[in-house]
Amino acid sequence: MPELTAGRARRRLSEPLLPVPVLALLAVAAVALEHRVLGWAAVGALAGYALSGSV
Amino acid sequence: MLFSPGWRGRIRQGDVLAVFTLGLLLGGTLTGAGIWLLSGLTAPLPPAARTAGLLALAAVGVLRELGLVRVPLPQNARQIPPEVLARRARRGALRFGFELGTGLRTYVSATAPYVLALGLLLAGPGLVATLLAGAAFGLGRALSAGLALASRDPARAARVAARLPWIRNAAALTALAVLPLS
Repeated sequence: MPELTAGRARRRLSEPLLPVPVLALLAVAAVALEHRVLGWAAVGALAGYALSGSV
Repeated sequence: MLFSPGWRGRIRQGDVLAVFTLGLLLGGTLTGAGIWLLSGLTAPLPPAARTAGLLALAAVGVLRELGLVRVPLPQNARQIPPEVLARRARRGALRFGFELGTGLRTYVSATAPYVLALGLLLAGPGLVATLLAGAAFGLGRALSAGLALASRDPARAARVAARLPWIRNAAALTALAVLPLS
């Protein structure tokens, strides 16, 4: 089994796809719990994150 | 570009990220305030029309992101000039973040920000929700920069580029799943 070095751990934790399910689940959970403000905020964060790499 | 080493070596990159994030939050909140003001125009619409509009808007967003329909985006087709960052790192990062955070001053190539803005306009969820959605938009952009800095991986930009279609599709699909219920 390959050793988990600090560099490799950092790369895994900064995987570009990682925030997507977190924010998407947050948005769905917020709407399911009728927390509209949090739902809009989660969709807003995801919309901003969708512009990754764009300047 | 934001974290280029060398020529601003005396300034800590964490400081640059913090100021950049502040600029993004301010820019996003300002745009949110503008959308909130304009959302009064859609106030007379009945709830059923709002829900139908949100559903149609988010569905078109998904179809566009999947490449099934062509909808030109009214984006400001310019890049923020590199000179903004070259002169004074902190002030430049603040301005750079602010301009990116507004979503109006440079390219916006994904569909989700348009769906978000038009969705807020159509749904009119109130001042707090609209401002927070704008600020969260800025925070989402900051998250990308923060992860880039944290990874210390020169090849990360290529990984982001490879995953960008997935990220954009997921953002559009989430908007479709969530916004009509908001």
